[in-house]
Amino acid sequence: MHIPDGFLDLEIAAIFYVLLIVFVGYSAYKVRKELDESKIPLMGIVAAAIFAAQMLNWPIPGGTSAHFVGGALAGILLGPFAGCLAMTSVLVVQGLVFGDGGITALGANAFNMAVVDVFVGYYTYRLIASKFSVSIAAMVAGWLGITLAAVFAGFELGISHGFLYGLSITIPVMGIWHALLGIVEGVVTSASVSYVASSRPDILEEGVGA
Amino acid sequence: MKKVWIAIGVMILLSPLFAYAADMVGYSEPLENAAEELGAEENQDYSGILPDYSVPGLDPHSGTLISGIVGTVITLAVALAIGKGLR
Repeated sequence: MHIPDGFLDLEIAAIFYVLLIVFVGYSAYKVRKELDESKIPLMGIVAAAIFAAQMLNWPIPGGTSAHFVGGALAGILLGPFAGCLAMTSVLVVQGLVFGDGGITALGANAFNMAVVDVFVGYYTYRLIASKFSVSIAAMVAGWLGITLAAVFAGFELGISHGFLYGLSITIPVMGIWHALLGIVEGVVTSASVSYVASSRPDILEEGVGA
Repeated sequence: MKKVWIAIGVMILLSPLFAYAADMVGYSEPLENAAEELGAEENQDYSGILPDYSVPGLDPHSGTLISGIVGTVITLAVALAIGKGLR
């Protein structure tokens, strides 16, 4: 889902940089005000684990492949604001060190995976966890987070003139593919959250600033 | 926490294997497949210090492994620095 340079129009890329900065800025403000100091190592570990998990490209016969994204997981484990900062760290390292996702597209990529995936994942989880089990809530959160992140990617590509196809194609293509691949995202998110819930329930209960 | 570090280590060790398997099935992401069908041109001027998770001059599998280690450590450092910087 990492958009390379050259697909997005520069003004679209700029708009999403601005949107990203707004969300990251507000997240930094909230983290500064509310994050417990003891959560900082967890922020580092979650970011590192998500980077490592994204290294694993699961091959799917038929010539496609996908990797775990992890935005919803970061949001659930860290709360949306620290989760947003942790995911932004991952996206910035991927873009700057490994050329994974373009520099001009970094704002859009981080907006999709560090804002949309994280916030949608977190609030979906909270909404469902109040009525159903943690594992169901995390499964739906992981699935919906990555699917909507892909829909946003499709939107950004579709409104860009540099990308030849319009919204009526880019949104369904990205959305439908990731809705299918998102099942894996949901399963991994669910397994991870269930494990934390059983071994370190304190992490989930504290939920940093909703 | 120790188990999480072990899991991270295992994922990094497995990454060259996954890269190999992905190559075997002609891996590419949905976004790349769509772009190819449309004939859209990637225009990546900047390819990073370790382009596409490889170490220039090194075989792809060792390159993936080293990229995994380096990237995980840098990501950890960046996220910790942000967290500490905000306190």
